[in-house]
Amino acid sequence: MILAKYLARRFFASVIVVLGVTLITLLLMDRTRGTYVPGIDLNPSLRPEDIARLRANLGLDRPFYIWYLTWIWGVLHGDFGRSMIDGSTVMSHILDRLPNTIELTATAILVGILISIPVGVVSALRRGSKTDHTLTVVSVAGFAVPQFWLGLMLILIFSVTLEQHGLPWLPSSGAYSAYNGGDLLDRLLHLIMPATVLSFFYVSTWSRFIRSSMLEVLSQDYIRTARAKGMSERRVVYLHGLRNALIPLITLIGLELPGLVSGGLVVEVVFGWPGIGKLAFERALQYDYTTVMGVTFFATMLVIAGNLLADLLYGVLDPRIRYG
Amino acid sequence: MIGPSRVAELDMPSAGIETGGSRPAQSYWNESWERLRANRIGVGAGALILVFAAIAIMAPLVSAFITHYQPQTINLDQTFAKPGSVHWLGSDELGRDTLTRLVWGARVSLGVAFLTVAISLTVGTSVGMLAGYYGGWIDDVLMRLVDTVLAIPAIFLFILMSILFRPNPFTLAVIVASVGWGAVARLVRGEVLSVKQRDFVLATRSIGARDTRLMARHLLPNVLPVLIVAASLGVGQIILVEAALDFLGLGIQPPTASWGNMLTNAESYFFRSGWLVALPGVTIFTTVLASNIFGNAVRDAFDPRLKS
Repeated sequence: MILAKYLARRFFASVIVVLGVTLITLLLMDRTRGTYVPGIDLNPSLRPEDIARLRANLGLDRPFYIWYLTWIWGVLHGDFGRSMIDGSTVMSHILDRLPNTIELTATAILVGILISIPVGVVSALRRGSKTDHTLTVVSVAGFAVPQFWLGLMLILIFSVTLEQHGLPWLPSSGAYSAYNGGDLLDRLLHLIMPATVLSFFYVSTWSRFIRSSMLEVLSQDYIRTARAKGMSERRVVYLHGLRNALIPLITLIGLELPGLVSGGLVVEVVFGWPGIGKLAFERALQYDYTTVMGVTFFATMLVIAGNLLADLLYGVLDPRIRYG
Repeated sequence: MIGPSRVAELDMPSAGIETGGSRPAQSYWNESWERLRANRIGVGAGALILVFAAIAIMAPLVSAFITHYQPQTINLDQTFAKPGSVHWLGSDELGRDTLTRLVWGARVSLGVAFLTVAISLTVGTSVGMLAGYYGGWIDDVLMRLVDTVLAIPAIFLFILMSILFRPNPFTLAVIVASVGWGAVARLVRGEVLSVKQRDFVLATRSIGARDTRLMARHLLPNVLPVLIVAASLGVGQIILVEAALDFLGLGIQPPTASWGNMLTNAESYFFRSGWLVALPGVTIFTTVLASNIFGNAVRDAFDPRLKS
């Protein structure tokens, strides 16, 4: 009952946030749409009335608020409208790019988890040791590396330099080769560098987090009790310690859900990865505001869903949490 | 300042205070300052930032007397020079001196970062203070606004805004701060909510202090440590964001040099010169690393509760 009430309140707060986000996005886009007809305002052979007709076709002659209400009405019916550039539906663009983005982000998150948990646990168990210091330095340094630059350096080393020396090199762009490519090996080769860059970021964030969470858990009374009753250190650390230390990580990963769309944007652009982030970036530069609105809406829903999911999972995993 | 220093005092043996053999009582600020100074790595990192800032401010002098190049002087006889005695850090595709451009780029990158922090703090503090102090519908409205701003994936907001406002250093700072203020507002609101409950606030109000006075003279100093920590931890992240926007072509536009847009250029000349890719990145990395280390030191010194 309390949970239902909590969910209801969260739902209404979310509706307000979503409306706010779409309104802000559209207000920003709207400032640019006054003169906008794709590529056609540069065409000298068009008469003013032709341009007016084209604008009307795209719905650009209607006032801002009518456009917004029509758009909202469409979204409520699952219709995100059509791209202003190529006329295909925004939804088909998103669905087209989504698998690529999920492939990249899911790999990066998985690699991130697999590396950061052992790193964090080792740091915590050997607190103050040389290993701990080294790992700390590496992760603090990892925070400071610009993602796009790391990507460029990898391309410089593993694509450009290796190729110059006639060695086998990694593809620097795209999700698969356009000609005779597309099989599993080809896709994996394309995935290596972007996934490395993205997971590098996750590892340096999460390993610090797991370390401090682990240290906190290990200082709890129930750990002392477990040790006092003669439980083996291994069981204490992994059964009682790690399981509880990982709970906060759920929140972090939940908050990473919107990263599906936006977190990888820079990486997608650097590596020419045909994902949603790159789509939004390219279309924003072309003033394709139906597509941008659609992607932004989609991304915002992910933010809200991620937050909610993290909160709820947190409650399931940690019964001490109560929703009020 | 009540919060943090009381925590520190509780740890001290009470006998020490009675015998008078302990250190003299110090203000919170003195104590924090001492703690910060004791952290050598932190102080070193802070000094490095100051040196970079000084070099950035004196960029014209560096151009005139040290490198003898201007950042936008084109010399087509010396394109893609390797680092050496003529161009210490090499030159780019138009023969422009890399070191000189890095120095001038520091003006942009550091300038935008500091300006962004200043704007975020000013707006965020005002909003957080109002929301936390007045509560009720003001709180609801302001915090829903913060929720909304923070729910838009930041990079989308940056892209849209930089299409709307042709970016120069000032608009770029405003653009990045348009997201940054939200987190500050949440932070300040939380602090104000807890400080508001303390007795001294009631006492101040009972002798007739007006709201504005209470906020500016009594609440603000209590929120200040949190702000100092947020500011020093924020600089590094903002430098990264700004560099990424420049790289995407959404920030500072060529020919003005910035660390980010030097990399956009370099991307086209991978095969000619790896130096052009490596150097701006190393510069960004060093600066951000120093800012983060300094930020951590400040956090540990000013807010012992948060020490990790």
